[in-house]
Amino acid sequence: MISHLVCAISIVVFYILQITIFSQSPLVSGAADLVLLFFAAWTLQEKMKNSWLWAAVAGVIISTISAMPFYTPLIAYLIVVGITKLLQRRVWQAPILAMFIVTLIGTFVQHAIYILALQISGAPISWGESLNMVILPSALLNMIFALPMYAIVNDIAGRIYPLEAEL
Amino acid sequence: MKFLKSKNSQTIVVILVVAGLLFLALSGYLTPVFNLSLNPLISFQSWLSVRYLSAQDFLTAPRDITQLREQNAVLESQVTQLETQLIQLEERLGEAQVCFALLDFGRTNPQYDYIAATVIGREISPFLQYIIIDKGTDHGIRYGMPVVTQQGLVGRVDAVIGPAARIKLITDSTSVVNIRLKAAETEAQLLGSLTGDLALDMIPLDENVEPGDIVLTSGLGGNYPPNIFVGQVLSVQTRENVLFQTATVQPIVDFNSISSVLVVSNFVAVDISPLIPEP
Repeated sequence: MISHLVCAISIVVFYILQITIFSQSPLVSGAADLVLLFFAAWTLQEKMKNSWLWAAVAGVIISTISAMPFYTPLIAYLIVVGITKLLQRRVWQAPILAMFIVTLIGTFVQHAIYILALQISGAPISWGESLNMVILPSALLNMIFALPMYAIVNDIAGRIYPLEAEL
Repeated sequence: MKFLKSKNSQTIVVILVVAGLLFLALSGYLTPVFNLSLNPLISFQSWLSVRYLSAQDFLTAPRDITQLREQNAVLESQVTQLETQLIQLEERLGEAQVCFALLDFGRTNPQYDYIAATVIGREISPFLQYIIIDKGTDHGIRYGMPVVTQQGLVGRVDAVIGPAARIKLITDSTSVVNIRLKAAETEAQLLGSLTGDLALDMIPLDENVEPGDIVLTSGLGGNYPPNIFVGQVLSVQTRENVLFQTATVQPIVDFNSISSVLVVSNFVAVDISPLIPEP
């Protein structure tokens, strides 16, 4: 129960930080996505079993607030959680490495979904320009913030399940 | 000798001696004598003075340092308080300047009613150029209302809920604004882009467009009121075998640092999409 509460509060906090600070501080035209990083780090915690649920809930809410068409944030976050789950089983001994891999792949996948959705809805967005101006700067920013995010979420997870962590 | 013993004669001798000494002193003949006699005195006075001041410092300094430290702490505290007040006043001044500027815009365009709002966020996707403001339907804001700042056009209301609204900026890649070039007296379309740059399209080839030309809204299409300042032409591109000229535009509004906006509340956007024939 406590993990649900903490997850919900964390999503709200990181989303507010995202739209008030991080989206207003772009690198070229790219920006870090704290919510994506949070889901990647949260899913990598072995004890946390509610990633799918909260990715779906947060995805629906963010999709409603966002101007992105076709609920693409929801799809992107669910795919990121899926990729993380897959990597968690394969790179379980090096979670930080897994975090970096998930961040990189997740950023590219998320932005590819965004571009596809926008192109379908009629926006004149080209892949080349998007890669140079948005995707690569966003990937760089996400990689920079991946480690602090993992440390924060790992600490939160350690506080939620202290007994298991000590054992 | 009797002459020297009389009082008058003694007085005269004294006066003569004093006058002689004065004459010698003023003519400089006595300087070596003065130096010889005064230098040791001055040296001794200096030595004594230095020792006295050192002793005085030694005796009084500890108390002064304590006092000075106390005074320094008090002054530092006052400086901190004043700096805090200064920062607060600068913030208020900045807010006041924004308010005055917005008020100025309202005065120069009295035909419109405005709702002032603060920007509280931006779109989460970096592909889209949207801002979120702290006023919504509760404050009278409706879908499609144009949004401006004291400088010029910002965008239009794209979505609105009770306490907030989402504004689509004119720099968004899906944004199209019908504009008018003031100098050339011609109309064109202003297009946004992924990077937030603005470009003009559909400028007739025979129109002479120069860098620096003023770009205003034309009012065509019914989405924006006419004659709102948008920016200036930065450069013009004319290529062969094309039907229209293109140009880049320097927007007057700095979209990266918008903090407050005005929503034009009495302008009703006209949806002409049903009138456009489908291909």
